[in-house]
Amino acid sequence: MRLPAWNTRLNNPPYLRPYHAYLFILPGLVIYVLFVLWPIINTARYSLYDWTGFSEPTFIGFDNYRELWRDKDFWLALQHNAFFVIFFSILPIMLGLFLTALMTRGRLRGMAIFRSGLFIPQVMSSVVVGIIWRWLFAYDGPINEFLSLIGLESWVRPWLGDFTYARYAVGTVGLWVQYGLCMVLFIAGAQSINEDLYDAARVAGANAWQEFRHVTLPGLSQQILVAFVLTFIAALRVFDLVFVLTRSGGPGKETIVTSLLIYQYAFQRNRAGYGSAMALVLSIIIITVSALVMRLQARREEERTV
Amino acid sequence: MKRARALITLTIVAVLLAALAPAGAQEQITLVVWDNWTRDAEQAMIDQLTAEFEAANPGVTVQREPYDTSDLTALLPLALSEASGPDVAMINQGYTGMGALVQAGLLLPLDDYAAQYGWLDRYAEGLHSRNRFTPDGATFGEGNLYGVSNTAEVVGAYYWREDFAELGLSIPTTFEEFEAVVKALKDAGKTPIVFGSLDGWPAIHTWGAIQHAYSTLEEIDAFMYRREGGTFDTEANLLAAQKMVEWIQAGYFSPGFEGMDYDNQTFAAFLNHQGSMWITGSWMTGSIIAELGEEPIGFFVIPSALPDAPPLSIGGVGLAYGIRAGTEHPDLAAAYIDLVTGPRAAELLFEQGFLPAAEVDPDLLVEGTLTADVVNAWNLISSQNAVGHYLDWTMPDIAANIQELMAGQVTPEQFIQDVEADYQAGG
Repeated sequence: MRLPAWNTRLNNPPYLRPYHAYLFILPGLVIYVLFVLWPIINTARYSLYDWTGFSEPTFIGFDNYRELWRDKDFWLALQHNAFFVIFFSILPIMLGLFLTALMTRGRLRGMAIFRSGLFIPQVMSSVVVGIIWRWLFAYDGPINEFLSLIGLESWVRPWLGDFTYARYAVGTVGLWVQYGLCMVLFIAGAQSINEDLYDAARVAGANAWQEFRHVTLPGLSQQILVAFVLTFIAALRVFDLVFVLTRSGGPGKETIVTSLLIYQYAFQRNRAGYGSAMALVLSIIIITVSALVMRLQARREEERTV
Repeated sequence: MKRARALITLTIVAVLLAALAPAGAQEQITLVVWDNWTRDAEQAMIDQLTAEFEAANPGVTVQREPYDTSDLTALLPLALSEASGPDVAMINQGYTGMGALVQAGLLLPLDDYAAQYGWLDRYAEGLHSRNRFTPDGATFGEGNLYGVSNTAEVVGAYYWREDFAELGLSIPTTFEEFEAVVKALKDAGKTPIVFGSLDGWPAIHTWGAIQHAYSTLEEIDAFMYRREGGTFDTEANLLAAQKMVEWIQAGYFSPGFEGMDYDNQTFAAFLNHQGSMWITGSWMTGSIIAELGEEPIGFFVIPSALPDAPPLSIGGVGLAYGIRAGTEHPDLAAAYIDLVTGPRAAELLFEQGFLPAAEVDPDLLVEGTLTADVVNAWNLISSQNAVGHYLDWTMPDIAANIQELMAGQVTPEQFIQDVEADYQAGG
């Protein structure tokens, strides 16, 4: 069969490829440029201005960034984001792996129901999540009632309003929302691991842990990296969960996160320029870390093929 | 033949219609209004007024667009800077609200209309100053008038009448008496004050109520309007901070208040009688009446701790109606504002359980009802020039500081220093 002429030149550098090819990506590209690239470019531009969001902007160079550098609240918020990486990213991956090991080991009756049930938190609206957990964490709520029931009255506390534990409470909700995504990714990945490897392991007398450690885990390395990138981004940009659980990042500033600060500055305190600077710094952190992880993934793949 | 006749008839009709049209439709004007009336009872009130306005102004259509407070705050600045923006809008007071809009030149000064319609006589000048800014938007509380309000707010104590009756307590007239009431309720095994600080802002009202009891209006005004000598570092604030800590240690507030939100948990705790009093704003009156009726709950303002001083209380006027600077119909917009902030509006607002900024006809009040208590409380403070302020108008972060104070993360002295440092740095 004779291929169309343009198809044979796909190995050319992008700018030499025929224009037809670009027509196919045009609709998506237009939307992407309009709603993603253009706003990002504008955010970068706004960050150089002193601007309320609606007044006449004044160009101030890098003053917003200088102020940001000295802003204690911003550093505090970044610290909290880093703390949330544990709960939004690392713990969900571990829990996801554990559940995957359970589910791939034996054939359980009604597995599909289990799996969808465990995935529900991931697809729930965050407002609903907030209302449920505010109720669960309430002083006279189920969690505290359970604690008194089993004789742990001294543990009873207003979780979301407690200076020490509010962060852990919000983190726990994050874990609950995020593990479903990891689990689904891992189960899908585990199904593509060659069955022979499991058979071989069993013949060699591997126990459940060894099987997991030497067959499942290496087979899932790709999925783990993907899950890490996705959940890491979620931890750094978290806004909705904090907003629905502790409203303004309280008690005090114990649960304040960067996105909440951006929202407060840009829309409540009329400092759109300063908020933009904050948003841009956050984006750069996210892009840098994601790029590093992707790089790591690519290198591993090379090693494997060599 | 038949067809020809039909054709002639049609032609005549068409010609007649064409001739009639310009006469029937004078110039059609659409007045766009952004407001804050989102609940059913509120919509009924404002739609009624709007219909009356349209009837009085033939050819004018009012297009109302209701938004809740946070949406209004977020969307209004951009909308007002557009040529197609609302002609009339309800505006939140304070530096980040009205101040920023004035600074950007988006609002029309209303002083001429105020003189024309007599708006300044509707309520006290001290309340109008909350809608005043200098034309550069930098100084709050003086300068041009940029808005007119139709509702009033006062923060005080709602209380279960049966608890007061049971213990033989009467409405306190000094802060000492108020403390005695709180203690008596506690000693009787009740939770004296229902409170929840999870959302942050309710802490401003509860601590602010104590703060206002120790302060003079001059101190609070100077702080709020950032006047010469304005400071947070006052003896009154320190006393109030110490009192708050003392009350928390004495167990005067709901157990676990740090984790209770306002709309669901605190409101439910008060309705379910899990405490005797609730220090919050008069905006809850309608909701409480809807659940419990007029009789079981009463309302009073917290008395002053200073000798012979009026009961200075947090309060003020609600969101203010303003006019977009670029509107094509300023006179019509002013006429609309005149109606929705005038006596007819006050009547309808009162019927719906709101506290109108303009005076309520005393004959309408029924003693022993919650509505009467709230109106009387407002009259008491507005007639004695004892209307205080919401601290977050000038200090948006102060709820976090109060939470730190309440949890013992900082001492009262440290709390004063922290807020003062923020204040001197510009808020």
